[in-house]
Amino acid sequence: MKSIFSSLRDGRGFDVSLVAFPMAFLFLLSGLPLVYNIVMSLQEVDMFSLGTFARPFVGLKNYATLFSQPETWPILKNTALFVTASIAGQFLIGFGLALFFWNEFPGASWLRGLFLVSWVMPGLVVGAIWNWILSGDFGVLNYVLRSAGLISGNIFWRSDPAFALWAVILANIWLGISFNMILLSVGLSSIPKDLFEAAELDGAGAFARFFTITLPMMRATIGAVVSLGLIFTLQQFDLFAAITSGGPNNASNVAQYWAWDLSFRQYDFAQGATISVIMIVFVMIASVIYVRSTRQEVRG
Amino acid sequence: MSETWRNRLLLAVALGLAAVYLFPLYWMVVTSLKSGSAMFATPPSFWPSEPQWQTYAYVWQSRDVGRYLWNSLVIALGAVALVTLLGTGCAYVLARYRNVWIDIGLFLILMLQVLPASLMVTPIFVGFSQFGLLATPRLAVILAIAAKAMPFFVVLVRSTFMSVPAELEEAGLVDGNSRLGAFLFIVLPLARNGILVSAILIFMQAFGEFVYSKSMIQAAELQPASVGLNSFMGPNTNEWNNIMAFAAMYVGPILALFVLLQRRIVSGLTSGALK
Amino acid sequence: MTAQIELTEVNKHYGAYHALKNINLSIAKGSFVALVGPSGCGKSTLLRSLAGLEKITAGRLTIAGDEMTSVPPRKRDIAMVFQSYALYPHMTVEENLVYPLRMRGVSKTEARARAQDVAGFTGLSGLLTRYPRQLSGGQRQRVAMGRAVIRSPKAFLFDEPLSNLDAALRVSMRKEIRALHDRLGATSVYVTHDQIEAMTMADHVVVMKDGVIEQQGAPLTLYDRPENRFVAGFIGSPAMNFVAAHGIDSASIALDLPGRPQIAVSRHGEAPLKAGQAVVAGLRPEHLRIVEGEGAGQTGIGRFTLPVRLIESTGSLTYLSLGETGEIALVEHGREQLRPGDRLTLSIDPALVHLFDPQTGRRV
Repeated sequence: MKSIFSSLRDGRGFDVSLVAFPMAFLFLLSGLPLVYNIVMSLQEVDMFSLGTFARPFVGLKNYATLFSQPETWPILKNTALFVTASIAGQFLIGFGLALFFWNEFPGASWLRGLFLVSWVMPGLVVGAIWNWILSGDFGVLNYVLRSAGLISGNIFWRSDPAFALWAVILANIWLGISFNMILLSVGLSSIPKDLFEAAELDGAGAFARFFTITLPMMRATIGAVVSLGLIFTLQQFDLFAAITSGGPNNASNVAQYWAWDLSFRQYDFAQGATISVIMIVFVMIASVIYVRSTRQEVRG
Repeated sequence: MSETWRNRLLLAVALGLAAVYLFPLYWMVVTSLKSGSAMFATPPSFWPSEPQWQTYAYVWQSRDVGRYLWNSLVIALGAVALVTLLGTGCAYVLARYRNVWIDIGLFLILMLQVLPASLMVTPIFVGFSQFGLLATPRLAVILAIAAKAMPFFVVLVRSTFMSVPAELEEAGLVDGNSRLGAFLFIVLPLARNGILVSAILIFMQAFGEFVYSKSMIQAAELQPASVGLNSFMGPNTNEWNNIMAFAAMYVGPILALFVLLQRRIVSGLTSGALK
Repeated sequence: MTAQIELTEVNKHYGAYHALKNINLSIAKGSFVALVGPSGCGKSTLLRSLAGLEKITAGRLTIAGDEMTSVPPRKRDIAMVFQSYALYPHMTVEENLVYPLRMRGVSKTEARARAQDVAGFTGLSGLLTRYPRQLSGGQRQRVAMGRAVIRSPKAFLFDEPLSNLDAALRVSMRKEIRALHDRLGATSVYVTHDQIEAMTMADHVVVMKDGVIEQQGAPLTLYDRPENRFVAGFIGSPAMNFVAAHGIDSASIALDLPGRPQIAVSRHGEAPLKAGQAVVAGLRPEHLRIVEGEGAGQTGIGRFTLPVRLIESTGSLTYLSLGETGEIALVEHGREQLRPGDRLTLSIDPALVHLFDPQTGRRV
């Protein structure tokens, strides 16, 4: 007993006790749910069997049902489109802004930091604002586009199946630009300045410097930023809840919203769990890529 | 072109870019101050000529904004307390040692960090309901948020601890501290700022959390502001000035916190994401 | 003399890496012991094991007669000065100084009185309310020292405390540390990679390499009678010249240099040389003599001739690189009127020639 106490104060026991509680907590509230998710995806779960653990196992039936539903493939396609378009938009605009703010001028770093305000705002608030901006008859975006002569009639962003997904993508790009920009700025400022001076002396113009110095030196950062973008985009839920609710008729539905919708709107927990399992596998692959790209930087 | 003119031009462009980017925030405030008819005017006015301040009082009263914000605050503070209490020690150990077990632990933590809440909510909800945790729905949400946010906190705080030299802690041990004493009196005070910033980031996330609260809290009087705002926005609402006033009151505290601590929050965020 | 610190068969493993190998060391009460060796030799690990910051994997450690092998640092009653000084950045100089006392339950008033006292003799009196970041390197060094001496520990441990100071300050702090040691009558263990520091400060020098104690003894003993080639090359600056050679008879050897010059060696109770025995001759640069005037240019027993390659003069000393590739170093007082390519005739006192076994490196 005395030795346990002294180990807690002076030895290994101290470290072990610091790690044990959080690890146990994470195991209970993240590890077990992960496993339980897989178990439920193999069971028949309905409102009546929700309270019991003894539910009939049905093998891969839930997976088979999932892929036989007509909306599954369009929703997965939407997810892919949502992810690619969001990341492309966030990254390109974010990189452009990062390059601009890389110029040193008074107030640059403060103004750049101001952009991050979008990142700390509750997703629901961002969604609500964009919902109003994108409103069909009275939305300010339609007004601006009309005044600029880009469109002749109003676009019904939220209710037109051709535009509903793009409405959420637009809001999500806005949300993600700041994070992309800040991380890319950090990457840019970590490139040693004398590399550019040396390249300039070697006769490289601005474009040549960008493609031969900036981009190659930014490879690790870009890898990290894009995979982080993937992770965040796959986590995006609030904007769907606040702008389109996946509608109209699943035109803007994506897997991560659908999983929730199946469980909590249609009370089909087995299907919700099934689609969750599939998506979690995707997210994990993305995060392995992310971990590897940042690891190299740290260890480098 | 002289240096000053170059700087002025760049600053002007930067201000323009920031104005475009932050326009949605501005639009929220402007809309919230418009009257019902001004809101739907075409062309829309970009300046509230007759600001309707009473909208805020009306919404605060009619939508129980105070109650919603209080619930958000309870949930966020609970989650931050739990995360800080459990995560700080974990981050410290992960920062102090370098071996295979630490690498495995770190990898698991990074993995847990990326699990989307909307995918984890199904098993957590079912599990919680089976263990009777949904009887105290705010506690259930606090637990779920803490589990989601702790990995991020650990990653951030770990990088803070890594910047505290190990020699300081060793000097503390030689000077007569136990491990616990050296941790409490030497390491923690030196890591205080990093821990504080990370806790604030977690607070902001938890304050705006939606998925878990929406799924697990049925009783309106226990719901946080995110759920309150969501139920305010019916599919065919035309109360946009009221909704924007609600939104403004909701983000107000967060914006204030952000503006106050902008520099630290930015550096905290970037160090966590790339290290 | 009683031993204040006693290490018996101490071993330290980091996984597969064997950092300390069978260390036996007895440190007398009141002595100043320097642990010296190239980086990675285990000297810091040994010091940290004394402090209890590293757990030794096998062996025994006693401090002042008490078993300390697995006692936590705080119960060992030792003080340590770190390479980075490890001053607590969130505490003032005074708070740093009283910290070890407060940890041991000394009352606030008494601790402050002690701090005043220590600040007095370490030259920190006007700095007590400053924070470490407001101090110069030398002042930080003094605070670190003050924090160590404020209580009367069983031993002081120093981990390369002067390596962050500039050269001039290093020389003066060397004297200050030694004076403080004498004044307190303390037992000190001092880790350094600088053999000059070790030679000038310590009563007893321990030379380490690859986790093994190569030799220990009084500084001049190490200089005069290095037990092996490593110690011979490590102690002394510039480093000793090593020349392959073989025995002619029991009192002379032939150097493996152009012309196979023969030189006499004297043996003090060591085994007599055998004819034809391969050895390595160690000739300190400061022991080589230039033969001038009569006899210059002659070679024979005790004399050999080498061309000059490089001449470096510091004003008071002249460093010469001799031989075809400049492999032989020589130090002379004063200045030499020499040019590269000149040929010099050299001699050496037979008593100052060290001989080592070419395989084992041991003194023969």
